[in-house]
Amino acid sequence: MTLWIRFLLVLIPSFLWGGGGLWSAPFVMPDKMEDLMVNYCFDCHDDETKKGEVRLDNLATLALKDRLHLLNRVQEQIFIKEMPPQKRKAQPSETERDQLYDWMNAELRKHKASSLEEKLRYPNYGNYVDHEKLFSGEITDKPFSPARRWLVSPRIFHERVMNVLGLSDHERRGFSTRQFDGVKNPFLLPDRSGVRDYDVTTLDGGHLLVMLGNAKWIAGKQIFAARLKTPQKEELLKGLSSKDRWYPKVTPEAFEKIVLKAEPPTDEEMKAAVEKQFDCVLMRQPMKEELAKYVDLLRSSIELAGNSEGLRQMLFAVLLESDFLYRLELGNGEPDEFGRSKLTAQEGSLAIAYALGDRSPDPELSKAAQEGRLESKNDYRREVVRLLADENYYKGPVDHKISGKNMRSHETSHPKIVRFFREFFGYPKAAKVFKDIERSDGYYQNPGRGTLGTPGFLIKEADRVVDWYLKKDEKVFENLLTTEEFFVYHDKDNETGRKIIAEWTQAYERLKDTDWKENPEKVIEENLDFLNTKKSVRVSGTKSKREFMRHMHFWGETIGKGRTPFTTPSFAHGYTYNHSVFYNLPPTPNPFRYGGVENKNHKGLDDVEFWDYPVEQPFDLSQRKGLLTHPAWLIAHSSNFHTDPIKRGRWIREKLLAGSVPDVPITVDAQVPEDPHKTLRERVESVTRQAECRKCHERMNPLGFPFEVFDDFGRYRHEEPLEYEEQLVSKAKKKNGANLYKTKSVRTSGALRGTGDSNLDGEVSDPFDLIDRLAKSARVRQSIIRHAFRFYMGRNEFTSDSQTLIDADQAYLRSGGSFKEVIISLLTSDSFRYRK
Amino acid sequence: MNTRRDFLKQSLLGAGALAFAKGSSWAAQPAKPPMRFIFMHRGNGLWPRVMVPPGLDEKTLEKEKRKEPFQLDLDSHDLPGWMDPLSAHKENLTILQGLSGKMCTTGHHSWCSSLGVFKANERPSSIKWATVDFELAKLFPSPADHIELACFPLGGGNARGTLDDVATGFSARGPQQPNYAFGSPRVAMEELFKSVSTDQSAKTQYQLDRKVLEFVAQNEGVTAGSLGGFEKSKVGNYADSVEAIRERNRKIDAMSDVIRRHVPKLDPKYLDPGMTTLDRQVGHSEVLLGALISGLTNVVAFTVDELGHRYTGLPGIEGEKVNMHDVGHNKVIGGLKAETIRELARTHHMTLVDRIVTRLKSVPEAGGTMFDNTMIFYFPDGGETHHSHGTEYPFVVLAGDNTRVDLRRQYVRLPNYGQAGHSTLGNFYTTLLNAYGNPIEHYGALDTGLTKFGHDQTGPIKQFLS
Repeated sequence: MTLWIRFLLVLIPSFLWGGGGLWSAPFVMPDKMEDLMVNYCFDCHDDETKKGEVRLDNLATLALKDRLHLLNRVQEQIFIKEMPPQKRKAQPSETERDQLYDWMNAELRKHKASSLEEKLRYPNYGNYVDHEKLFSGEITDKPFSPARRWLVSPRIFHERVMNVLGLSDHERRGFSTRQFDGVKNPFLLPDRSGVRDYDVTTLDGGHLLVMLGNAKWIAGKQIFAARLKTPQKEELLKGLSSKDRWYPKVTPEAFEKIVLKAEPPTDEEMKAAVEKQFDCVLMRQPMKEELAKYVDLLRSSIELAGNSEGLRQMLFAVLLESDFLYRLELGNGEPDEFGRSKLTAQEGSLAIAYALGDRSPDPELSKAAQEGRLESKNDYRREVVRLLADENYYKGPVDHKISGKNMRSHETSHPKIVRFFREFFGYPKAAKVFKDIERSDGYYQNPGRGTLGTPGFLIKEADRVVDWYLKKDEKVFENLLTTEEFFVYHDKDNETGRKIIAEWTQAYERLKDTDWKENPEKVIEENLDFLNTKKSVRVSGTKSKREFMRHMHFWGETIGKGRTPFTTPSFAHGYTYNHSVFYNLPPTPNPFRYGGVENKNHKGLDDVEFWDYPVEQPFDLSQRKGLLTHPAWLIAHSSNFHTDPIKRGRWIREKLLAGSVPDVPITVDAQVPEDPHKTLRERVESVTRQAECRKCHERMNPLGFPFEVFDDFGRYRHEEPLEYEEQLVSKAKKKNGANLYKTKSVRTSGALRGTGDSNLDGEVSDPFDLIDRLAKSARVRQSIIRHAFRFYMGRNEFTSDSQTLIDADQAYLRSGGSFKEVIISLLTSDSFRYRK
Repeated sequence: MNTRRDFLKQSLLGAGALAFAKGSSWAAQPAKPPMRFIFMHRGNGLWPRVMVPPGLDEKTLEKEKRKEPFQLDLDSHDLPGWMDPLSAHKENLTILQGLSGKMCTTGHHSWCSSLGVFKANERPSSIKWATVDFELAKLFPSPADHIELACFPLGGGNARGTLDDVATGFSARGPQQPNYAFGSPRVAMEELFKSVSTDQSAKTQYQLDRKVLEFVAQNEGVTAGSLGGFEKSKVGNYADSVEAIRERNRKIDAMSDVIRRHVPKLDPKYLDPGMTTLDRQVGHSEVLLGALISGLTNVVAFTVDELGHRYTGLPGIEGEKVNMHDVGHNKVIGGLKAETIRELARTHHMTLVDRIVTRLKSVPEAGGTMFDNTMIFYFPDGGETHHSHGTEYPFVVLAGDNTRVDLRRQYVRLPNYGQAGHSTLGNFYTTLLNAYGNPIEHYGALDTGLTKFGHDQTGPIKQFLS
């Protein structure tokens, strides 16, 4: 070989790696593509026009990197039908658009440079898939999901740890709402409106660091009970931290044998231990090679450190298997004519179980899988229908994280179904928006120690509304969008509430004309037997006078004025209900109102009109219509200091109208200008009507502006205070009170575009008008179905999922709006059952 | 076929071999030494009034009382009595007043708030991002990245643990990811210096851990090798991470001579579970020094105390278990007034700072000393007092000559809360991050209450950027 050839051989790879000119294949635009570009693109993007500084007539002369970058931009615009602009008459046909897209895709794939393909996996880009096409019925591709690993959710991780530790039902209940001392959940779902748990997250170093600590703790606990049977018992108990004394009371037999054995274990004993740990952690048996490797590890660890420590290392190693942290959905068996394989029975059982809740399959589902009765669509249907009818297996709090010292999360039979709607609507984000308390006139409590404050209560009340309509299971979407029935302060069931009010009314009527103010002790004494029959009145012991006086004052300014009091008195321990005003309801007494009423020198109470509490709930609430007018949603889609019509409008565009809004370009400094004479709407309009902003903002602002009739605390209003120093009328007159500012009328008009229904699209007068139209829209219904698909499949829809979506939509319509039927349809679909 | 990981492994091994060939270790003497940061925070608040140098003239004192901005050269002023231990380091000292932190959880048990500038609310889900110490650790990577030591609270607060254990610390690695802290010098020693331990069971454990990591790395590597495309990255990243930890361990092994030289030689009393709080603090300071000097880490967070800690060993009331909450409520304990107890604790904290500064000044580095490249921050975790509102977070700052923030020999009172030019903890940390290469526009949550004053609360404190 000559030196020259050798030199060339060395040179070639470097040119190839450089991705540059010399050896990259020459760029050729097929004639057909050139025709299409001439017809639809070059008018605005040739060397003369260069609209938006984009030129497409010189693709061949660009350096590869620049060309790929440009092709990616163009491909995305064509895919989402942003280009050619809608206003241009000359539009490519669907076939022509597909041809352009496919050609660009092929070019990009050639260089592994398609950014759109990557983007389409992620939640923000779910709506890029053409809505009309998905529901047109013209797509005949067979649905499937990719064979995949799907990272377990934080709740499923916790459940898996409970499984590994072999918790009994009793212990499991205890740990369902609290964490293990030595286990840190390595997973975190993003805070956003919309489906949060996608199959795109990969394990990384952060997860590993956390898992190293977790695995060590779990492995130690797994064999702790057995080690207590050894002479080290006292030393082990002494070594337990006072905060971490819990351990499973039973060690699996295969582990215990090794721990208690004086000599090294036999091969059989080691195999049994490895198999047991695989069963506990990975819910499968090791393959032959795996078994051999783990037995080797166990043997050498035991040689180094003895039976217990060596065993612990093997347990530790299995816990570090990445498969412990993933849901495996790879499929198996002979592919069908479309190249798809079904989920294995075990994968299917886990997929069903985790779709409906966080727990592993119940015994009946596991049995069905083991006995080969989880194969067909009907098998899936049988199990899904059964589990949806089961009121107990998944029963639990909707979100134990909102529980605090003064409030528990709402409990229901299928918390995960409620979680779909809370993710979809995004109202739990209210807890992340901190407010200036004074602006709420002292009523708003930000999340603090042990409590999520006002947003916690509001989130729970929104959860209740969702659950109420899920239980009814009729016209679920329409009801959630338009209901005028809400739950507020409803901390007892209707029956209990009725009984309390009856007892209180009876007691007040009997005692109101006595000398209770001047001589309470005597009144108590004379009526003690009577009072003792009223379970809801606690007047006894050393504080009886104080309790009695408080009750009488409380009843006097509620029952005495013909109003029903809230069934938890404000002086009850832990009272923190203070948020009725955010529904535009009158306030309830604050916790300090009746302090000192038993003292002779008490000044008396000022006259306040308290809320006439509806015991029976849900109840009709004026000036509200559906979850988009619920204070939790309104706060979640507001800023720290004011409303956010853009965010609210964007939510409607993306979640209800299946539309998309590009991200703010990095060159845009998105600031709303300050102006003490204008409302927020006027200020937003002044900046977003500029040409460079309008294109995107016209998709959001007209949908968000009608909600300006609610302030950033969710309060209905007609006037907006101009919160500027120069508009100050008077300073607050109480601690944490609000300053009084001059106001300006709120404009509530807006516009709905994009339902695809000319009867619905058009100008709207206010949010109620807008909501009514949205609730009638087929596109809105289908958009919610698309999000449900993402929630249950853990991914964005492909065009090949068309049939699955159409079936789910039809199931909803046929059933009169049953969400359960949507779930059944999705979980029995090919998209759910097949992998490719 | 070589995988990316193989390539990485070989490259790193190659780099390691090169380092050996030159006879140096990773931590020994790099061309430009890294910066080091020590965050020492304490509970129960730190009163702004005790920070003021004595003997101010009347006019300045008036300004101080009105909390108006001014600046003094410490050369011409004495230090407050409790800062006497720092008198030898005046040229490196700044007393910084006027920062607010109302966007933090304040008062009792503020947990990660003052390091992260958000309301931590004693709930992991409230942790919004990595605390500032972790952000700085990213800028100056080291084998251990970051080390946290704590005198844990026993009652109250989220981060309570047993005194002698590893438990949830006061820093955060990232959103919703609280860090772990070493509660006792003994546990910290065992963990940090286990690679050079002479104890047989520690050696065995060390070997076992290495063995399992090797096993896991091979295992996951094989799995990743059988996958393609996006699915490959789901296992591949994990396998790479295991490999990265092994690589870190290899680096620590390669540094064993240096580490061995700097293993703290602690008197047995600092290893005794029954040690006093003051001894625990000294022991932690020694571990901190050993870790910094050996190059194991460049950033240390040190919870000197916390409201829920029961203080023992305070001079004059050695036998008492002092409840710091009671001190916060001005109770007399063992015949000593609460204010005296506060002063005793603060003075001891300053002896710790002196110990750290003096030792670092004795370690030669790049033509100067290690302290030249060090910043120490002493500050309250919850604000200006026991039941604080977060309007003030006083800081004692010690900065070496090569530090990039202009904080030396000064008493600085910044504009008070609500005054034009007022600065927050967020502004201060943004200053640090910007100075050392993180261009973040603003670190930390904003204070909703400050908006009404109408001034921009984002960005660094420009006067400190030298």
